[in-house]
Amino acid sequence: MTEVQHLSRQLRAAAAEVPDVVALREKRYGLWRDITWADYLHNTEAIAFGLAALGVGRGDRVAIQSENRPEWLYADLASAMLRAVSVGFYPTNPVAEVRYLLTDSGARVLFSEDQEQVDKALEIIDEIDSLEWVVYLDGRGMADYSHERLVSIDELISKGAELRDRDPDVLARADVGREPEDLVTVIYTSGTTGPPKGAMLSARNVDFGAATFGRAPGMFGHQGLRQNDVLVSYLPLSHVVERAISTWCGVRNRGLVHFAESIDTVVSDLAEVQPTVLFAVPRIWEKIQATVTIKMANASWVKRRLFAAGHAMGTRAARQQLADGTPSVLSRVLFFLSWVLVHRKVRRHLGLARVRHALSGAAPIAPEVLEFFLSMGVLIHEAYGMTENTAVATCSYPGRVRFGTVGEVQPDIELVLAEDTHEVLTRHPGTFQGYWGKPAATAEVIDSEGWLHTGDVGEWVEESYLKIVDRIKDIIITAGGKNISPSELENAMKASPYIREAVVIGDRRPYLTALVGIEYDTVADWASRQRIEYTTYKDLATRPETVDLISGVIHEVNGKVARVEAVRKFRMLHKELDHEDGELTATQKLKRTAFAATVPHLVDDMYAGTAEHAGADLGRSG
Amino acid sequence: MTTVAPDSNRATQDGAQHGAERSSTSRLTGQSRALRSGPGRGKALRSATRGRPRLFTSYDQDSALLNTSAKRWWTLAAISIFLVLPFWLTRDLSHLLSVAMVMAIAGVGLNLLTGYAGQISLGHPFFMALGAYTGAVVAGVPGSIVIGWEFDLSIALVLAAVIPGLVGLVVAPLATRVRGLYLAVLTLGLLMLGEQLFKQWASVTGGSGVGRAGAVPVLFGNDLERTYAVGPLLIAPHVSLYLLCLTLLVVLAVAARNLARSRTGRAFAAVRDRDIAAEVMGVNLLRTKTLAFVLSSAYAGVAGCLFAILIGRVAPEQWNILMAINLLAIVVIGGVATISGTLIGAAFVVLLPRILEWLAPWLPFVSTGSGGLITVFQLESILFGALIVLFLILEPRGLFGLWHRVRTYFATWPFSY
Repeated sequence: MTEVQHLSRQLRAAAAEVPDVVALREKRYGLWRDITWADYLHNTEAIAFGLAALGVGRGDRVAIQSENRPEWLYADLASAMLRAVSVGFYPTNPVAEVRYLLTDSGARVLFSEDQEQVDKALEIIDEIDSLEWVVYLDGRGMADYSHERLVSIDELISKGAELRDRDPDVLARADVGREPEDLVTVIYTSGTTGPPKGAMLSARNVDFGAATFGRAPGMFGHQGLRQNDVLVSYLPLSHVVERAISTWCGVRNRGLVHFAESIDTVVSDLAEVQPTVLFAVPRIWEKIQATVTIKMANASWVKRRLFAAGHAMGTRAARQQLADGTPSVLSRVLFFLSWVLVHRKVRRHLGLARVRHALSGAAPIAPEVLEFFLSMGVLIHEAYGMTENTAVATCSYPGRVRFGTVGEVQPDIELVLAEDTHEVLTRHPGTFQGYWGKPAATAEVIDSEGWLHTGDVGEWVEESYLKIVDRIKDIIITAGGKNISPSELENAMKASPYIREAVVIGDRRPYLTALVGIEYDTVADWASRQRIEYTTYKDLATRPETVDLISGVIHEVNGKVARVEAVRKFRMLHKELDHEDGELTATQKLKRTAFAATVPHLVDDMYAGTAEHAGADLGRSG
Repeated sequence: MTTVAPDSNRATQDGAQHGAERSSTSRLTGQSRALRSGPGRGKALRSATRGRPRLFTSYDQDSALLNTSAKRWWTLAAISIFLVLPFWLTRDLSHLLSVAMVMAIAGVGLNLLTGYAGQISLGHPFFMALGAYTGAVVAGVPGSIVIGWEFDLSIALVLAAVIPGLVGLVVAPLATRVRGLYLAVLTLGLLMLGEQLFKQWASVTGGSGVGRAGAVPVLFGNDLERTYAVGPLLIAPHVSLYLLCLTLLVVLAVAARNLARSRTGRAFAAVRDRDIAAEVMGVNLLRTKTLAFVLSSAYAGVAGCLFAILIGRVAPEQWNILMAINLLAIVVIGGVATISGTLIGAAFVVLLPRILEWLAPWLPFVSTGSGGLITVFQLESILFGALIVLFLILEPRGLFGLWHRVRTYFATWPFSY
């Protein structure tokens, strides 16, 4: 086994070799501010000294609750310098979850981004003894805040500077005797079935994960990640993938990472930065597709026609490429024509003009979405992994993409399917160290031979390609005894720009039904063009016209599946699902069992044969 | 305040207060000051910056006059084309273009005042006349009635800017007290006063109905009325005048554009959009309006001086309300509060009669000699009036607005917004 490279040492190496090169850029007041590698190291060390001054040492947990911004990376790497363990929270975590996470992780210091997060922390700071300090990054609106354990980032740094004057060797001493088994971070998994569990990742896990992410050829194309790659960090850094790309691969492969001005400006910031590699979750790809659909629907007649023509050419070429693997001569011509006509500009508007490699992961993506992006020449590569194996298992290699699969197993990784359940099992140096404080839960997923039980059911396609069927726990067994994967149906529905959430129900029931939540923006726009008047989300969702629209979408999906898999009835959801209301996890995944229990009236309405709530019965044949 | 800021553990009440205050003010700044970052601090690989025209890493880039490479190339192309154009065109056409450029200088000046600062002025020809006569007196030849000092044109041009500017400074305090229609009437009064003055002051203007020649174009000792040979190039008098006008136009237009994007330019716009709000924001109304008047008068003066040279002979009746309307038409048709629009507007207004003349044989209702419904000149006036009305209603930003629409149409392609 090769020697493990530690994050803090990689940062020092970069700062020594290329001090003047820009490592990060953050947008402030409309201007991209450079942070060179020397600045990166300086800022990280300043915070590391500050943390040391607060008494943080080896093995202590440091929690961070913030949107993506450079300080997130500094705090993360600063704790790595002290051999402390960083723990990322989602900015959307409500107070109750913050309390659970702080208690569970036992963090001594919490970095809270701004007033919103500090309010959460201050509400519970007196109940949690293990939490010693709260450090905020942005002081706007907090002039009156006063608490003996609340300090600003600058106060933290000045404490660190005092410590540095007294004892400049703190960091050097902490660096001595690093081991591959040192814990680097605890990443809380979303917990669709129970409270979040903290997955412990060691230096070896992180090293292996980052090496696999940046490998050439690998997840980021033939060249892997390189120094001239331009990235935008916008997915939550508390999630393993964004951490791996922005932080771990950042210091390893030295790409240029941009931080958007705020979560609301990501779209326009993407168009300015024009990243070369882009990772997005299916929800984001769907959202981009919906944006294009809406904007085109509102465009002038000429533009609509020309777009339709260009898009049709692109789609035709994309279909041929999907079917045969490589584009034919005709397809290349069609791609070029559609590129000249519309897609060159569309890609520029969306920030996809310079994307050389696009990735999707974290959830299954609908083939319709893949086709849409391929029609504009952006081939989305799916990858598969989970927090527990440092997010590396399989990926789609350029030129060897099979749609509907998550690609092939990567080098140095063992992956098999369990004989009876077809559960995906992985074994490699990225396998995590266990759940924080939950040895029983750890024993459930790592067996005696070191195999990680992922909880996903898989199957092999063409020998070497892995297809993920569904989560084991989510597989529906109907009253007729048929096994059905709900996520495939749900994804097919969600591929429609009008549907945001779809929950297929049918476990131990005579037939399948669904709960459907509309994509508010798109449906609202559609409604205004149809001159349908409405007031609220609920009003819009339960309009007969909207129900008809959704019926049409589901009807189309039903046409593509076997009769037993057809959705017989559906009901409209009356509110948008939300993390803060406990329906979604921080990564916008649905908490299935918990959710179905919150809307029993809708479910009963379908199986009792009544029609009290808005929805439609599509009949036996769907 | 019951709790004590963490960094002041000293026991005294005073110390605690002080510490709390200190940390409070640092909290107001929002962002950290101790962390290092900044615009344009580091080097990035070329491949990581190329092809990203809207990624600005410094305010200089963001507010540059030519902030995209397309603008840079087009400006360069336009200037080079206009540099070689007089060597190709006939004498009268390049003369016409020179007039257009002079009107563009006057238009840019008026646009600073009317377009940017929102002060409607009908008195612009008065300042042009001041410039013309200043130039004629300083660099003109003396006649039987008129005086002329025969200085160099460079001195004349400077004084042609300074004298109207000073007069503008004198008039400005009156003008800044009123706005809108009242200002228009006030400046109209100025125009009338001026006309009377110029008619009477024969030693300067030649007197009513007679007029006088403009300045003699001897620039830095070189008589521009002679033909020069530079290498293989023959520079005829009309070419040198053309080049003089072009140079001054480029310099003055760039200066105006530069002013418009500066603090002063933003103050102009604030005053235009709502003078009371501007004053509340800390814009000094008197100073801003005065500056707009002075600058605009200086531009008019330079234009007037050049105009007199090009036309050859100017009479006091020439600086009348029709000219004021012509200038306003340049601003409105070209585009209010745009410099490039003014250039297009001036070309349009000056060249329109010539184009109509060309078109006349193909227009059956226009008479070239006898017969027909209307003459070319009548058609011109009708078209002019109609255009002003149409632009004000349909495209208040003028030709520039039209161009802007076309650009937006393709910039947002294939979307509409």
